[in-house]
Amino acid sequence: MLRHNNSEHHSLNGKNFIILPIIFCIIIYLLCFAVFAPSLSTLSSLSSFFFSDNPKDFSEEYNNIFVPVSENPAPENNKSNQKETVKISDITFPKYGEQFGELIIEDCQINNKLFFGDNDIALNNGVGIYNGSAIPGYGKTILVAGHNNTYFNGLKYAKKGQKVKMRTSYGNYTYEITDIKVRKATDRTAYDLAANYENLIMYTCYPFDELGLTPDRCFVYAKFVSGPEIDKNN
Amino acid sequence: MSEHKHSSRLRAFVYSFLSFMLTLVLFLFSISIVVECTVFSKEYMINVMSSNGYYLMVEDELISSMKSLGNASGLKEEFSEKFVKSLDVQSNINDYISAFYSGDSTLVKTTSFKQQLYDALDKYIAENNIDKKTVSNENLDYFVDNATEVYVTEISIPFFSAIANYIYKAQTPFLMITIGLGVTALILIAIIFFTNKFKHRKCRYISYGFIGAFITVAIIPAVIQISDKISKINLNTRSLYNLFVNYTNGLVNGLWICSLAFLLISVVTFVLYIKYYKRATSHNH
Repeated sequence: MLRHNNSEHHSLNGKNFIILPIIFCIIIYLLCFAVFAPSLSTLSSLSSFFFSDNPKDFSEEYNNIFVPVSENPAPENNKSNQKETVKISDITFPKYGEQFGELIIEDCQINNKLFFGDNDIALNNGVGIYNGSAIPGYGKTILVAGHNNTYFNGLKYAKKGQKVKMRTSYGNYTYEITDIKVRKATDRTAYDLAANYENLIMYTCYPFDELGLTPDRCFVYAKFVSGPEIDKNN
Repeated sequence: MSEHKHSSRLRAFVYSFLSFMLTLVLFLFSISIVVECTVFSKEYMINVMSSNGYYLMVEDELISSMKSLGNASGLKEEFSEKFVKSLDVQSNINDYISAFYSGDSTLVKTTSFKQQLYDALDKYIAENNIDKKTVSNENLDYFVDNATEVYVTEISIPFFSAIANYIYKAQTPFLMITIGLGVTALILIAIIFFTNKFKHRKCRYISYGFIGAFITVAIIPAVIQISDKISKINLNTRSLYNLFVNYTNGLVNGLWICSLAFLLISVVTFVLYIKYYKRATSHNH
């Protein structure tokens, strides 16, 4: 008995208090791995869906990247074919919710901050370009939204031929109002986001000065007059 | 001699296996007890909400969303401020949580909200001398519907309506599983305790089980905290983000507490093992 006890005490020493529990732990996690192995790729995908790389920023302050540039050297009435361009690499593209310009229609008493994106922060502080459309100079449709009782209330004075100015961080643009239409909010034929030419569409709820949310929209269409074209190859 | 060695090895193997089973059962028990005290506890959810300013944050966000909607609807900002203050946001959220834990599929009740909003609009029209004939009921209804959607979004917690019924149905079975695991752990401890002749052996195998449980459980909160994933959750509102972070931190702390309890027991059993071991060897000599 004495010999047996001694041999056991020698063979099971203090190291087992660390080694055995670690082995237990490894076996348990291997078991867990075996159980969850079929769903690991799904869990991994879900993880990347639910978690971002950086902690979330909840600041309600918008970022302003608008740096006014001097008026275009070429006068507006200059009909020469000389095209001004701005290299795409020279542009700081606005992020969603950033102010990157101003929209001015003097005849309608509109002089608003221009945001990229039409979220609440943008529309509570100015007007916003729908982020599924293009920015000025890109040669596509620019769709700008604003509230009918605040920043786009002046659109009720819009008339054909009036000039619309858009001052951005990389250049100043001019458009001319060509048409005004009232359509249902759900009418997707009111705008063509796939157009391959520069055009501006501003829209707001209709009727103006109405209490409550309205189902109609007032669309103001404008054609491109002048401004630097974005050179997408540089 | 060889028979002795053989039986000694067999005993060591059998008791090591029982220690392993103890580790496994304690690991599952700690997870289930943490889940029982957090996920299945209405009080835990309300405590997390109360102690982290969730109600105030929801109220702020509701005011902000209502102001944006008001901007689009020709309403002054004061309207939203006054209206949301009149609502008992805390009571509405608590009702929502109660409905969630009682398995109610309609978690947010909107009838009262709509009625209060219509009353507030009538008052606003009267106070601002707006001619009622110029106000379209259709536009007001559209506004109220949108405001109700905003209200439901602000009060709701994502996926809660989808899992409410499952949580309700799982409460009793999960409690039984937790109790079952606790009883199993006690049975395993009793087997190790009563089938061993020597006290130091009893303590040793129980200690193995608890040290194993300590390491196995502690890995989960350690990995969660080192990876710092919790603070990077994609949630749109500050209130939900804070709720999730604090709620999950509570879960993680629960696992730390369980692992520390296991560590404490394993230290006690280890100290007893040393004591009885020394006594046994001195007796033998």
